[in-house]
Amino acid sequence: MLHRRVFQFFIVYLLGIGLLFGIKLALNLSDYVIPGPTGVWHTGQAEFSRYMGDVLDTFAVAVIGQVLSILMALGVGVAGRRATWFGSFIKVAAYNVQAYPIVAIAPILFILLGDGFLTRLFIAAMICYFPLLLSVIGIMSEPVVDIEHFYRVTGRLRWQLEVKIRAFENLHKLTTVISGSATLAMAGTIVAEFIAANAGIGYSIRIALYQSDLSKILVALFIIGITLSLYQGILELLGAGLKKAWAAG
Amino acid sequence: MIACRDITFRYPGAEAPLFDGLDVTIDKPGFHALFGPSGVGKTTLAKIISGDIDNFTGQVEAIGGMRCLYTYNRERLPGWSSVGRHLEKTTPPGRQLLRDEFINHFGLAKLMGMRYSQLSMGQCNRVNLLRYLLQDFSILIMDESLANVDEPTRQTILYKIKSIFPKAGFLYISHNVVEVARFCDQIVVFRGAHQSPQTCRINGQDHREDRPLDKTALERSMLEIMHAA
Repeated sequence: MLHRRVFQFFIVYLLGIGLLFGIKLALNLSDYVIPGPTGVWHTGQAEFSRYMGDVLDTFAVAVIGQVLSILMALGVGVAGRRATWFGSFIKVAAYNVQAYPIVAIAPILFILLGDGFLTRLFIAAMICYFPLLLSVIGIMSEPVVDIEHFYRVTGRLRWQLEVKIRAFENLHKLTTVISGSATLAMAGTIVAEFIAANAGIGYSIRIALYQSDLSKILVALFIIGITLSLYQGILELLGAGLKKAWAAG
Repeated sequence: MIACRDITFRYPGAEAPLFDGLDVTIDKPGFHALFGPSGVGKTTLAKIISGDIDNFTGQVEAIGGMRCLYTYNRERLPGWSSVGRHLEKTTPPGRQLLRDEFINHFGLAKLMGMRYSQLSMGQCNRVNLLRYLLQDFSILIMDESLANVDEPTRQTILYKIKSIFPKAGFLYISHNVVEVARFCDQIVVFRGAHQSPQTCRINGQDHREDRPLDKTALERSMLEIMHAA
């Protein structure tokens, strides 16, 4: 699972960078527009440690934001699973808010909260919260009739048991959604840093952009990709382990 | 025991009602059957009696003081614990001996450490029926609950149920005419929505372990059921 994720990333990254070098060769572009392989390699050697620190900084914010989103989505999703007015309200609100590009309100947050840790965290959490919430609500509001019937007719179906049954039956979906939301959290944090923050890999990419240094951007993308692939692979492994442990009692 | 009067029911989106003024009466406890081809409304009536369907018109009276339970053959147990652990947790206090007796008679003793997903379909059916038999009920509706169980085991189970619950009411839904004619007391035969009356009642042999089986009477019951259907 883990090695497959990393392998897939390498293929995509190499294809992308190969395409860039192909364009450079085909159009005879200068190193200023698209640097050559040696230029990228030298930049990688020079900037790897600093960019790695930046990526880990961004990653830490993304993980905290994702964990907060998961907790909020589980809480609200469980509360909104019923066909009550509250459940319907939560669903409609989630669908509507999710349809709005959250990143568009990022400048407001920067104005109100400044360009520090809290703003990055808030944007990361908000970007991955609504898709997570929709998935959790979808899973939690769908009865597993063939299992729940017995508990319902014998008066044993408490909400905790209902949630447990639905979570267990949809564990694969839940872990896939959580694993996928890691990308959203990371993207949210980088976007926040890119817009106005003063730390993280998004901030470094912004500086590289102002310097028109594509090598630095390619090195940053490589470290972001490898970190995210490892993290998603670990999440998937954890999900599979959890299911195995749960099923083994 | 069960009286359904003037039941009219139509599934949402259906052109015609499934039941139109249906009357069904089972007048005493015991082991009874709902019989008929697929799609005539056996399961629907069972769900109306048990309260799983409530958007019908008419009256349903189920007498007995306790609840009416409906079980069907596609039910599953949660996958996070073994069959034995699940049965332990769902057995009401004071019924542990009955549970162990059923486990032995149903041929399930060796399966207690296994997960539900590891069982065969027949084993799943038996485990599911067993947990319902341990609950409080005055009427238990068994919708093809022994559909995948082999004949000798099915026979053992039915004899056991009849001997343990002489005062309870059972409604057994099955497509096996021999089984229904042999083991059931009153058989409600469904004739389809376009026929009048929609159902008719045939007397079965209500066979028990300690009684000889009258094969001629059994054949007569089978013929009556087939003729009615």
